[in-house]
Amino acid sequence: MTNTHAIDIVSVTKVYPHRTDPVLALDDISFSIGDNEFFTLLGPSGCGKTTLLRMIGGFEDITKGQILLFGDDISRLQSNQRPVNTVFQQYALFPHLTVFENVAFGLRRQGRDAAFIKTQTHAMLELIRMAEFAERKPSQLSGGQQQRVALARALAPQPKVLLLDEPLSALDLKLRQAMREELKEIQKHTGITFIFVTHDQEEALTMSDRIAVMSNGQVQQIGSPKDIYDNPTNIFVANFIGEANILKAKVTGASKAKANSKAKSSSKAKSSSGPSLCVDLDCGIKGLNIFSQSPFKKGAQINVMIRPERIQIKPLSSGRGKANALTGTVKSISYLGTDTQLQLMLDDGENLLARLQNTIDASSSFAVGNKVEITIPEIAIRALSE
Amino acid sequence: MAGWITKGGNGAQTSIVDGKQHILLMPAWLVIGILLVIPVMVMLIYSFLTQDFRGGVIWEFTLEAYDQFFIDRGLFGDEPPQIEWTYIGIFWRSFLQALFAMVFCFLIGFPTAYFIATRAPKSRSFWLFLITIPYWVNLLIRTVSMKFLIRDTGPLNNWLVSWGVIDDPISMINTNFAIQLGLFYSYLPFMVLPIYASIERYNFALSEAAADLYSNRWTTLFKVVIPAVKPGIIAGCILVFIPSLGAFLAPDLLGGAKNFMIGSLVEEQFKGQSGDWPFGAAVSMILLTIIMIILLFYARAQSRDNSGGH
Repeated sequence: MTNTHAIDIVSVTKVYPHRTDPVLALDDISFSIGDNEFFTLLGPSGCGKTTLLRMIGGFEDITKGQILLFGDDISRLQSNQRPVNTVFQQYALFPHLTVFENVAFGLRRQGRDAAFIKTQTHAMLELIRMAEFAERKPSQLSGGQQQRVALARALAPQPKVLLLDEPLSALDLKLRQAMREELKEIQKHTGITFIFVTHDQEEALTMSDRIAVMSNGQVQQIGSPKDIYDNPTNIFVANFIGEANILKAKVTGASKAKANSKAKSSSKAKSSSGPSLCVDLDCGIKGLNIFSQSPFKKGAQINVMIRPERIQIKPLSSGRGKANALTGTVKSISYLGTDTQLQLMLDDGENLLARLQNTIDASSSFAVGNKVEITIPEIAIRALSE
Repeated sequence: MAGWITKGGNGAQTSIVDGKQHILLMPAWLVIGILLVIPVMVMLIYSFLTQDFRGGVIWEFTLEAYDQFFIDRGLFGDEPPQIEWTYIGIFWRSFLQALFAMVFCFLIGFPTAYFIATRAPKSRSFWLFLITIPYWVNLLIRTVSMKFLIRDTGPLNNWLVSWGVIDDPISMINTNFAIQLGLFYSYLPFMVLPIYASIERYNFALSEAAADLYSNRWTTLFKVVIPAVKPGIIAGCILVFIPSLGAFLAPDLLGGAKNFMIGSLVEEQFKGQSGDWPFGAAVSMILLTIIMIILLFYARAQSRDNSGGH
């Protein structure tokens, strides 16, 4: 059973010893990464994602726990004994060697025969479309080209797992977007398990099969990009991935069947797996049936989340509208190109972020100070655990 | 002047900066002129003058000094000219001594520099301080004390005998070993410091990358670390080799008369009344030329190295 996993992280703990205050970098982490998966470790700097990656690569000792590679314990192996290769953050290309020799480096150390080294290296250079640069030195390449050489160098020995340590962070935006596509394609093409570390949520969402969101040395949530964006389990994940409005609510009981049937029809079957709640929002909407992954007792005070683009607003017509509608004032408007972001203040003083797509018929009718009618569709609301 | 008319304000500003630069560069020009160009010119001219037997020179052009170095015409100058091997032999021996000193300094200096550069940043200056402490003492005193350390009744022999490593004291004074020890002790920091500077700038992610790509410690050292810090190693080697080639204190005090080196040969020519200034100058010029040729070859190799592929 374990053999089907490329990597098993088993109760891994990392403590950086220090005389006065030892730092707990990883706090008893366990999860598995499937074979052939594009898996991303996402989190803010200092969350332990790089430490975990370096442990898989063999560059950090494990204080406690085990790391299994296709079922074999590799925890005590030196990095040169692990069939795992790394794309380093600043590429770490060997400056005195040509592109060809950089890519061939791992193969030469493995003692492969010359003919194989030549064909494999050329195949890798073809893969990254750098064949004509084979004789250049790294200093004669652009950042994007160096990045691709680092990728080819790590792929050439055909590792069982490829580790990527924020490989795109040094590139400019356009190049970064192009490289995302390329990385994803190469991963599919080679069939190698990729473990990708980033603090960039957009990168994580666009490339990954699954994401582990980390913070403070702990895994907060593991799931597909859609799962993590639509159903964050807690405030940290909700805030870290995309923008989120966090509202206070009170649980009034389990929801009626209505919510469940709605869930099935709206293709969000996965989120209906948890029990659904009936809550009252503190800002004034009562009797909402919302999705929750964890059960709450009646009367509990909880946080709920709604994404800004799922809030509907329109200019306030006469009087109060629907039951689920609130009224508020536009406090500020930011134009973001594809979207327009509106900072709203509800009548009870609560702040709310809304985002409207700038479609062709988009009503630019909102101005700062306008009164608006705000609808929060209950299907878009998620209960968050602590 | 005309520049600002064609190029506008920018051109005028550049010419002012240029003028200022010349003034600011004056001290450098003066130092190079007074300390470098003029002394070498004096030496060059003296090497072509006639020897005055009370020391000094007679202002009369001659190739006598170079003739004396390269050509043997017998004791009375009446035999058919042959190649004079005495001085070439001294040069060859000096060259070998300097080469060995350089290699020993590298073998000890590289691990030392690596050790210092990989300490915590705070403690590095302490280690560097330790390396430089002996240099607060005059070179002559250090060399003489080395002589006391290794003489037949000195502490080194005493220890070796008392530990039973040897039965009788080994005569170490006046050997090549003594010269090597003197040169090594004199010039070790010149090897350690440039290599330290290189290793400190070395990106240790390269070592991780090498380990990641299946290198063991030794392959990482030889295939990645040493090539990457090569400029520091070469600088250290030059800084040890060149002064060792011309050194005279260590060979003189520790090597004795039979292990004569270039430095002693030159010193002899300028010492006291019996000296031969033009010959001393000629020996120095020949040494200078050899060093320049070596450095030229090195510079060539370096530029070929840097031009990279294509």
